[in-house]
Amino acid sequence: MDRAAGASPGVWGAAWKRLRADRVGMTALAVVLAFVVLVVAAGLGGVAADWRAEVGVPDAPPTLLGPRAPTADPLVAGPAGPAADLRDIDPLAPRYAEWDAAAQRLRATEAPRAQTLPLGADRQGRDVLAKAIQGARVSITVGVLAALAATLLGTLLGALAGFYGGRLGDGLEWLYNVFTAIPNILLIFTFAAVLSRADALLPKGVWSIVVILALTSWTGIYRLVRAEFLKHAVRDYVRAAEAIGASASARIFRHILPNVSHVVLVQLSIHVVAAIKSEVILSYLGLGVAVDQVSWGTMLAEAQGELILGHWWQLAAATAFMAVFVTAFSLFTDALRDALDPKLRGLE
Amino acid sequence: MSRTETTMDEPLLRIADLRVSFRLGREGGQMQRAQAVGRVVDGRAVGVSFDVPAHRTVALVGESGSGKSVTAMSVLNLLPDNAEREGTIRFQGRDLLALAPRELRALRGKDIACVFQDPMSSLNPVFTIGAQLCEPLRRHLGLTRRQALARAEALLAEVGLPEPKRRLRAYPHQLSGGQQQRVMIAMALACEPRLLIADEPTTALDVTVQRQILELLATLKQRHRMGLLFISHDLGVVGEIADQVVVMRQGTVREQGPVAQIFSAPRDAYTRALLACRPRLDACPARLPTIDDLMAAEAAQAAGGAPADTAAATPPPKDPDAPVVLEVRELSKAFWLRRGVFGRRLFQAVRGASFQLRRGHTLGVVGESGSGKTTMGLALLRLHDPHGGPTGGQVLFDGQDLLQLPRGALLPVRRRIQVVFQNPYASLNPRFSIGQTLTEPMAIHGLGGDDAGRRARAEALLARVGLDADVMRRYPHEFSGGQRQRIAIARCLTLQPEVLVLDEAVSALDVSVQAQVLNLLKDLQDELGLAYVFISHDLAVVRFLSDEVLVMKDGAVVEQAGAEQILRAPQQDYTRRLLGAVPRGWVPAAG
Amino acid sequence: MVAYLIRRLWQMIPTLLGVVLLVFFLFKSFGGDPAEILGGMNASPEQIEAIRTQLGLNLPVWQQLAIFLKQIATFDWGKSWATNEPVAAMFLSRLPATLTVMGPILLLEVLLAIPLALLVAYRRGSLTDRAIMVVSTVALSISLLVYVIVAQYLFAYRLGWFPVQGWSASVWTNLASYAVLPVAVSAAVALAPQTRLYRSFFLDEIGQDYVRTARAKGLPERVVLLKHVLRNAMIPILTNVAVALPGVFVGSFLIEVFFSIPGLGREVLLAVNRSDYPVIQAVTIYLAMVTMAVNLLTDLLYKAVDPRVVLK
Repeated sequence: MDRAAGASPGVWGAAWKRLRADRVGMTALAVVLAFVVLVVAAGLGGVAADWRAEVGVPDAPPTLLGPRAPTADPLVAGPAGPAADLRDIDPLAPRYAEWDAAAQRLRATEAPRAQTLPLGADRQGRDVLAKAIQGARVSITVGVLAALAATLLGTLLGALAGFYGGRLGDGLEWLYNVFTAIPNILLIFTFAAVLSRADALLPKGVWSIVVILALTSWTGIYRLVRAEFLKHAVRDYVRAAEAIGASASARIFRHILPNVSHVVLVQLSIHVVAAIKSEVILSYLGLGVAVDQVSWGTMLAEAQGELILGHWWQLAAATAFMAVFVTAFSLFTDALRDALDPKLRGLE
Repeated sequence: MSRTETTMDEPLLRIADLRVSFRLGREGGQMQRAQAVGRVVDGRAVGVSFDVPAHRTVALVGESGSGKSVTAMSVLNLLPDNAEREGTIRFQGRDLLALAPRELRALRGKDIACVFQDPMSSLNPVFTIGAQLCEPLRRHLGLTRRQALARAEALLAEVGLPEPKRRLRAYPHQLSGGQQQRVMIAMALACEPRLLIADEPTTALDVTVQRQILELLATLKQRHRMGLLFISHDLGVVGEIADQVVVMRQGTVREQGPVAQIFSAPRDAYTRALLACRPRLDACPARLPTIDDLMAAEAAQAAGGAPADTAAATPPPKDPDAPVVLEVRELSKAFWLRRGVFGRRLFQAVRGASFQLRRGHTLGVVGESGSGKTTMGLALLRLHDPHGGPTGGQVLFDGQDLLQLPRGALLPVRRRIQVVFQNPYASLNPRFSIGQTLTEPMAIHGLGGDDAGRRARAEALLARVGLDADVMRRYPHEFSGGQRQRIAIARCLTLQPEVLVLDEAVSALDVSVQAQVLNLLKDLQDELGLAYVFISHDLAVVRFLSDEVLVMKDGAVVEQAGAEQILRAPQQDYTRRLLGAVPRGWVPAAG
Repeated sequence: MVAYLIRRLWQMIPTLLGVVLLVFFLFKSFGGDPAEILGGMNASPEQIEAIRTQLGLNLPVWQQLAIFLKQIATFDWGKSWATNEPVAAMFLSRLPATLTVMGPILLLEVLLAIPLALLVAYRRGSLTDRAIMVVSTVALSISLLVYVIVAQYLFAYRLGWFPVQGWSASVWTNLASYAVLPVAVSAAVALAPQTRLYRSFFLDEIGQDYVRTARAKGLPERVVLLKHVLRNAMIPILTNVAVALPGVFVGSFLIEVFFSIPGLGREVLLAVNRSDYPVIQAVTIYLAMVTMAVNLLTDLLYKAVDPRVVLK
């Protein structure tokens, strides 16, 4: 009699255990989760909701550097000597006191503009930290949604093409060939050019970029998922499923798909990073988010002009935020891949 | 090239207390290791020790996990990066473990050469045969390109490759498996090594080709006066070519000695069990003794119990008039292959197979690779892609022709004819728990009542195949090959089938596990009256299980008769050749 | 071989047709009225109507498609709506600049990544390997934009080693001065991902059985890597280069915009901003043809690199 003791964790449980032991991976996951929390908070309006407010003086430096020394205006040299007393000849002189009193009652509160802000201010005096957080919200949201959409599309089409083959497979291969015959950037541009005119259908903004990126990046996932399905469809366990009478959709979704899900998950993570980088570039070029939104890309666009004047903080902030998130996400993806792989090696 | 004879008392290769472990990575600050060769006994590590005398063949025998390959590969340090070796390996008096990498490299390919198991992957696919052969010649012997090519051609002729000059320019994928292995042997011989290490060189080859390669190795060893370290799991092969045998199990040496002594009077219980549990061509017991049974019996005997019943009972005869459950008439299967610009041609994989299968009987289908036996088995079940090519003939089951049934009507039939596949590692869905795997078929066919009923049935079947009920919660990767195959059998049984197609179902298993599964299959047949179509390349296994045997070659049935008759009096040449190629193990010399 | 070529060329037709249909219907359905775009903001309805007739927009759809197909077949790309320059002439004048920059980038990328990846594969698992991997992960997380902005600011503006922007009429001047900074920045940025990719190719090959055979023959590790592994890894490397090659022809719009290089990429970007449809359509279809030609060439090249390939 064979004795088997203890509960079995299954593939995902074992992968999670392995991931937990990977210190780099867990740190990266923590950073990613922190960003996600930030993004959600920003989205709900709790954090950095007032990023448009011009709270600082234009080009205020970061707090660490201290306020900028006021530069003397060289063009206008005021005359020396006390101001002349014109009250005798000034026809409005008697009314000044009255107006002053009225103005006192109606004075608009104008908060004094800060001389320095935690990460500095941009050319219009907006808080760079708030912009960076809002930018994170936009860029990360776009990245995740675009990657999800592309993955769903690519996985579904890849599964059908790999499993059925035949006419359906040929048709999907043709579609794939058409989309890959055009270099990626060009495809993005084409869609961007076309959709910029289709305002009624899809207003410019987060969703239009998500659609564009999804339609242009599903091909990579399709190729991989199709290859995996081709490989698995001839494996004995699928033949066995057919032999016991399982239907085609059962075989695709219940049998093969769980065995391919680790590939899909890793692809999803890779595409999140790629989508964020693409969104940044698109927004930089003005083809991304609408003008009243901020994203890391728009920040970089502004930063270019500021750099010449020696104001580097918006560039640094956008770069730092993006670098930290993307690095953490990439490291997490690597750790995830390692956690999923060795478990599966025993299954092959 | 001068060669000094080794002194009588210093063997060519001496392995003493060798221990090999693999670093698995850090877990909780500690380096985890897996011991592959050697074992820790009472706190001390006990390693592997044996000698290879000059001009002798020493065979390392063991099942999977015994550490035989790791031992052989550690001689030249061809192990992965995370391996650690300890102990002593002396070659011609030099300690190989203490050699600098440069000196070890000078030995490799020159004094000690290797032949590996899978020649297709062991040869570099992008270089020609000639280029790969010349490499050791030019590196170790300093020959010029022209000299090397001439010598390469001579080597190819020596290993029996026809048209050696043309083959020099060929690529590995253009040769057959047997030819590739001959090239590997030629490459190993290139610099006239003193010791040849052959790691399962014939395991991946057909049995007729295996015989040729074994004969080639024996001839070459004789002619070049080399020592041969031969690794294998097949005792039959070992008995034929070895002078000394070293039996390994789980990283330790169980027994070693001259081949005659090991085969006729083995001292260790495991060796005895290993020898006894092979199915044989000349005897047909009712059950195969398994290692566990034998070792338990021996332990009981040593403790003073009754002597073990070594005489295997003969099986009860089968009823020749049992009802026919499956009748196949002129079954044929062809595949479309692309040809030309737009054309395609038909490749006939199976031509005209016919047989009758009775209840409780087993039909054995034997053939080498490419004979079409697996194709026929799958065609019976309509498991091929319908667009792949036409299927002809009739498969009559319960009055219906299965090949003519519309796809929708196949479901009830699927319940009654089931299949067990070859690869136990691929036939269970890695993501399904065993419980899910076993209850799914019942759910599809509406058997077993409700969920609880199905689970109960699954647990009963697990008990029947010899596994515990808490197997249900676990996943395939936690089980060995033999256990998985039993789970696969249980899966088939959930549907209460009448016919079982076993496609090389025991070929991927170790010989001791194979015995267990074969016994199980026999028991189930006796108990449930199942009819088997047993497909295999291994004649001895087929002999054990079958009542009638079909011999196939290139898609056609070469001979078809009762099992006894085929084995005693084969009519066809091919059948005779097939029987002759089966390794018989050690046979005492006459007189 | 000839049969193979004929079959491949035959198979390209449906793909090309697909691209044409995609482009045509995409612009037709979503793209907004070309007549309005051409007419500009202040055009009167009669002017717009006149433009529509001129462009043939009042014809039935299938007839417009037929005209479109005919134009493609005769390589008549039409005229740019913005500048009225024939698109074909635009291609010819912009392509050299693009190639002058992209060609060296691809070359440098591949030629530098191979030895670097070999080095990392040779020292796999060591501290050097892991350090390089970490550095490249971080380097990859920074947008290309940042690198270009900083490089341009630092090397051109502050240090003055290279011109900030510009282009000249002579290929040699370009290669020697104007193209240096853009090429250097692009190649440096692409080095990290390329090295990682090639490293994975090399590691895959190192795990194969034939490497063990090579070691068993007594070959030093150096020879095993440089001769056996590299030769086999050329197959996936070739695939990788082939996939990147069509991109060379469209150019990197970012680089061209930043450095004011009059290349095809920048032209396309301008066209997108100006809704200059003929240019975008023409470039898309032209690039599709280039991609298919490059794919065919690569498949033929595979035969030279991988003897197992059988072109049927």
